[in-house]
Amino acid sequence: MNPTRPKARCLFFALALSAAAIILLGVDSVAGAAAVDYAADVRPILEAHCFECHGPEEQESGLRVDFGATLISGGNSGPAVAAGDSKNSLLIKAVHGTDDSVSKMPPEGPGLSDEQVDILARWIDEGAQIPDEPNAPVGRVTSDHWSFQPLDDVTPPKAPEGAIVRNPIDAFVLRRLAETGLAPSVEADRTTLIRRLSLDLIGLPPTVEQVDAFLADRRDDAYERLVDALLNSPHYGERWGRHWLDLARYADSNGYTIDGGRSIWKYRDWVIEALNRDLPFDQFTVEQIAGDMLPGARIDQKIATGFHRNTLVNEEGGTDDEQFRVEAVVDRVATTGAVFLGLTLGCARCHDHKYDPITQREFYELFAVFNNADEPTLPVPTDQQAKELPALNAEIRQSEERLATVDANSGTRQVEWEAKLAATLPLHWTVLDVAASSSGGATFRKLADGSLLAGGEIPRGDVYTVSAARPDHAVTALMLESLPDASLPNHGPGLDEQGAFVLHELSVALAAEDGSSQPVALASARSAYSPKEGPIGNAIDGSTETGWTFTDAKQAGLPQAAIFHLKQPIPDESVGRLVVTLTHQSDDKPRQIGRFRILVTGAPPTTLSQSPEVRDAVRRPAAERTDEQRKAIRQAFLKIDPERVPLAAQIAELRKRKKQVEAALTTTLVMRERTEPRETHIHLRGSFLRHGAKVEPGVPRVLPPIKPRGVSADRLDFARWLVDARNPLTARVTVNRVWQRYFGRGLVATENDFGTQGEPPSHPELLDWLARQFIAEGWSLKALHRLIVTSATYRQASLAPAKLAGADPYNELLGRQRRLRLEAESIRDVALAAAGMLSRDIGGPGVYPPQPEGIYRFTQTKKFWGTNQGPDRYRRGMYTYLWRSSPYPFLKTFDAPDATVTCTRRPRSNTPLQALTLANDPAFFEIARGFSTNLLAAPAADDLERIRLAFRRCLSRQPTAEELSQLSEYLNAERQRFADSPDDALAVAPKNSAPYGATAVPADPSAAEVAQAAAWTMVARVLLNLDEFITRE
Amino acid sequence: MSRRLGNPLPAGDSNAGPSVASAALLDTTRRHFFAQCGVGIGSMALASMLAEESRGAIVRPDPQDPMAPRAPHFGAKAKRIIFLFMAGGPSQLELFDYKPKLQELDGQVVPPEYTKNKRFAFIKGDAKLLGTRRKFARHGQSGAELSECLPHLAAIADEICLVRSMQTDVFNHGPAKLFVNTGSSRFGMPSMGAWLTYGIGSESRDLPGFVVLQSGPRGPRGGNPLWGSGFLPTAYQGVPFLGGSEPILNLASPPGIDRQREGRFFDTVGKLNAQRLAATGDPEIATRISAYEMAYRMQSSAPELIDLSAESQQTLEAYGAEPGKVTFANNCLLARRLVERGVRFVQLYHTDWDHHGNNDTHLGEPLDARCQETDQPAAALVKDLRQRGLLDDTIVIWGGEFGRTPMGEPRDLIGRDHHVDGYTMWMAGGGIKPGQTIGATDELGYYAVEDPVHVHDLQATILHLMGLDHLKLTYKFQGRDFRLTDVGGHVIEKMLA
Repeated sequence: MNPTRPKARCLFFALALSAAAIILLGVDSVAGAAAVDYAADVRPILEAHCFECHGPEEQESGLRVDFGATLISGGNSGPAVAAGDSKNSLLIKAVHGTDDSVSKMPPEGPGLSDEQVDILARWIDEGAQIPDEPNAPVGRVTSDHWSFQPLDDVTPPKAPEGAIVRNPIDAFVLRRLAETGLAPSVEADRTTLIRRLSLDLIGLPPTVEQVDAFLADRRDDAYERLVDALLNSPHYGERWGRHWLDLARYADSNGYTIDGGRSIWKYRDWVIEALNRDLPFDQFTVEQIAGDMLPGARIDQKIATGFHRNTLVNEEGGTDDEQFRVEAVVDRVATTGAVFLGLTLGCARCHDHKYDPITQREFYELFAVFNNADEPTLPVPTDQQAKELPALNAEIRQSEERLATVDANSGTRQVEWEAKLAATLPLHWTVLDVAASSSGGATFRKLADGSLLAGGEIPRGDVYTVSAARPDHAVTALMLESLPDASLPNHGPGLDEQGAFVLHELSVALAAEDGSSQPVALASARSAYSPKEGPIGNAIDGSTETGWTFTDAKQAGLPQAAIFHLKQPIPDESVGRLVVTLTHQSDDKPRQIGRFRILVTGAPPTTLSQSPEVRDAVRRPAAERTDEQRKAIRQAFLKIDPERVPLAAQIAELRKRKKQVEAALTTTLVMRERTEPRETHIHLRGSFLRHGAKVEPGVPRVLPPIKPRGVSADRLDFARWLVDARNPLTARVTVNRVWQRYFGRGLVATENDFGTQGEPPSHPELLDWLARQFIAEGWSLKALHRLIVTSATYRQASLAPAKLAGADPYNELLGRQRRLRLEAESIRDVALAAAGMLSRDIGGPGVYPPQPEGIYRFTQTKKFWGTNQGPDRYRRGMYTYLWRSSPYPFLKTFDAPDATVTCTRRPRSNTPLQALTLANDPAFFEIARGFSTNLLAAPAADDLERIRLAFRRCLSRQPTAEELSQLSEYLNAERQRFADSPDDALAVAPKNSAPYGATAVPADPSAAEVAQAAAWTMVARVLLNLDEFITRE
Repeated sequence: MSRRLGNPLPAGDSNAGPSVASAALLDTTRRHFFAQCGVGIGSMALASMLAEESRGAIVRPDPQDPMAPRAPHFGAKAKRIIFLFMAGGPSQLELFDYKPKLQELDGQVVPPEYTKNKRFAFIKGDAKLLGTRRKFARHGQSGAELSECLPHLAAIADEICLVRSMQTDVFNHGPAKLFVNTGSSRFGMPSMGAWLTYGIGSESRDLPGFVVLQSGPRGPRGGNPLWGSGFLPTAYQGVPFLGGSEPILNLASPPGIDRQREGRFFDTVGKLNAQRLAATGDPEIATRISAYEMAYRMQSSAPELIDLSAESQQTLEAYGAEPGKVTFANNCLLARRLVERGVRFVQLYHTDWDHHGNNDTHLGEPLDARCQETDQPAAALVKDLRQRGLLDDTIVIWGGEFGRTPMGEPRDLIGRDHHVDGYTMWMAGGGIKPGQTIGATDELGYYAVEDPVHVHDLQATILHLMGLDHLKLTYKFQGRDFRLTDVGGHVIEKMLA
């Protein structure tokens, strides 16, 4: 601030005044502390020190102190006065200047005297009374800046005599040209027109046949018919969808440093589809901003909200989630500003906008609009899935109901089952009277309990063969008990120094008297001790590589049991001895079981499989059972209830199927409004950690007011406000951006800044007329396109006559068209189309065309890139998977945005790296190869005819004689040289290399055929590298 | 020189390349165009600039030749920059900034006044101070205090200017790297190399003006935007050189196309483009023709550039470079070769300095390893530049996106968190006063308390040395004049020779 401004004088005057006040006060305080009076004591101090920045002219930080009410309610930092509590009032903190939370006030010059501060503090402590006074003026902010004014109702001017006026656009343009004494250019030739239209409207070149048909179509409306055909092409949605995706900052990854992948291509496809059906732009806008909030929102309307889910997500460790959520919301405000309003709202994040009438408070009011959304992932079923899922759900529900009925009626069955089970109880285990031999020379001593204790020379690894007479009852299961013993290391039960063992295999056989033996198959094994690293199942898996690993030190000195169920019971009447083989493998030290015994039972498997608790409970009389026991019995019964089991299995199967279907669902990112709104505060100096005053959702006051449906405005109200016919910006900004795509620059050159720092429109009346027309035509984008491309202005030649170029180097006056280099994706698309290789499939997940090695050296994490081999290898560039941290190099080289922020206009650079890319990128050279193959398969009388064909497929027009002779010379020279160096020829045109889409080549071509293919590949490469090829003229 | 190409062209071969064959034709068409259209190249150049024009006092770049060298605002002390970017944030407390008090309080909880209202990536308020395990000593006549980790730097202590009072604004890697490179932690701003080449072009006609080299286990976090051109024309974005024999993407001709065949190809494309230029008069075609000419030249200049076998054994040993590998040492040598050839800005990223204290990321062996990889080559680079008379007008900068906290992190091994309030970088050469230490942190090494140097100050100073006023090197975008230093930045006079 300039200290010589009137402030200094005021300050002096104020000091004098307050000195007088102090004297008075002094007298008063002696008299007995009279109350401080706002008007007499407080306001003059503020007037002297504060009004200049916080008064009628300026309201720094949103604070206005010349009204008592606004002084108390405060500015961006929140209430300035806490009545009755001066210590906690910002006003006092500010004038003290000793508190971190607020800057010292006034910022320059001498501060308030202690006495003045005391007056303010006493006024607050006494209750901060203010007299009745008029309210501070609030309401509309006015601006005379052009873009904030309502759309002008313009009548197109009368066209000058003899001028070609195809529609009112031309009248506006001609008038301005005439004012400058200039004339428009002639119409471009018809070949240029069809190529221009085709590239502009669908982003693909016309085929030779289409060009010929158009040239032959002599009807008056041939051009208009062509326009309509192109607008009806499904590729129109791709072409203009790609433009929109630039604005939407669409990408397939999260951005920042980790940059993980994301699935949001459904949004991309929604854009294409919405444009193809010409969804009116107002609806297009509402669905993207707030489709989730529309009454009865359809799934496609929810998908549309992906527009604002294209924000970045920081997955880096140690980041504050709230910080990056706030960043995303800020981005939503800034993007909305640039895309729909043409305003640089982001500038008001930290302070009031320096140039435009947008305050920091208003920025946070917009922030509040977007601050109330959750960010869920939405499953998007296909038609098939959409049918199958509800069907599955219904089936599951019905089965569950049936199950409930079955269970409700199973009481009698259970009682019968319980009785049957009880009859087999208690379990009887017979201890076998065993004898054992050791393969390694150990000896066994039999103990009183029937167990064997290993002793003698203990080998490393051992196979115990244990045999016993079979008991006098059937055998359904066998139990191996490993037992501790004081004689064993660490008390056993194993033989290693920890008392551990590993049992690699247990097998059972029935040996007959004659020495023959019959293996007894085991069904299952279980044990209370079955560690992950060596479960009990390992002991019967038929492999001696794996074992039941009993190595937990805590188990040392404790008995353990494992039960082995037989597949078939050994019947009562069978004869022979039971032989159990225990195999222990070890190379380094003994890991055998040290003491064990074997028991058998004949109890039915169904009894055995019950837990001891159930077995115990079921033997009690029903009346004596505890609740827990009843529950355990019920659970056990439900598991075996024959009526229930198949039904339960069916339900499990259905659930599994449902899970599979759900896992196969494509998902997309959407917005969902919260029922409990988040509070929004102004972030002081843009820091999300420094909360200032609370704000409600709202829009800048310089624009027409928003009309909330409820108490306060929400995202849907805002979306509708954006496309309200009274909003002066959205239609202007939109038609201007469309215009920019056709002429290389907008009527407003600063397409992203319609504020006071932007360029004024070159044709203000045309802009307003177009905007009104756009609204009048129901916000139809196709109607807008049709209007522009059928104008004589659009149809002019691009070549600038000297006079025009000199007088209007920027082509601001639109006296000609412009040559415009194609966008990155289009260059690839046009090449594939010319070569006859393009896959024209629309939509679907991102694809992976070939890309050079080594591009991930420069990213933090390697990215997935499963190069496509089939048709997806040659899809349009817009479907290429976009990793934000490493965009597809070809596209990046030609100025495709990396989608970190909204892009309202791409630069058009012209660099050596582009030359290298078109010449050498293996993926692009592959196109030259395919082109050559297809050319050679096309019928042509001779080389010259074939060159003409190739030329026209690339450039639509016929080559000049000179061009033809140059290409033909080049072809001949290369063909000769390739014939002389067959290795090179094979390298350029390898055998069996016909890429997808290219016509089949001979399986075993002759040397001449290879030289021919290689030479044509070189010609194709030349054509694909021409400036004209990548330019719309 | 062109040993790797295998096929040096015979002198006088009229098919040698477009520059020979079509030069005359191009001249004709260009003359024809300017005569026919009656427009000076200047105004046509302006036509494509539209609202993007700069208000600076520099000569606006000619969009047809965006890298043409241009005069700076005032006399430049330096012409080229090599920025050795230590990605991850090297620990100044282990390398440059010895704090006896920190040693004394090792293991104690940090006084609360230091961490009040502070945010960290990982550690909490009750973190304990961590003294360094490294030994420090003074070196050279200047007495620069450096740790045992950097013996080679110690040997050139009198060549460097140590800044112990660096400060930055953001403490997560991605945003902080953007901040050092673009002056803003948000996306969309041009990087320093882009600003420089936009401002004064490059002196190399055969190589990109802004080159990025990479070594270490992975790419730097943040990727592309770190060397992006933001809202500046994309011609100014950094060109990452890939490891391996093909330094630039798509530099090599497809198989079966040797140098002669490639010459004929470029020649034919040039001739056809020239005809279209004659027919349309669009200067963009002239630009395209020169871009193709440069592409053709790059095909031989770039492989020659990266062929380190032309260097003497002595030089290779000095850097510790081994031809054929992708190492920081090779990149340092490559950087010298690049600036020798007139490239304006070379940035080397060496990753994995993020020493939090996990396995492989602690202040023990991993730090040793990083130092072993970088110390000798960085010092060798400075010495080599000095020997060849290049150091006087080449700035060498060493540093990361931030430093590390005086507090340790409660992890398995010794490590420190990200720190923005006081850390160290060093610079040498081009107009920088050598043999001095600027600034100091407090007794704990927490805050820069003496001569703090904010990242924007560093950027302002670097631009100043390059002859550019950071307040004037601006670009209008979205209604505002943007600059590298955002709304800050002061030239640090002490740093200037």
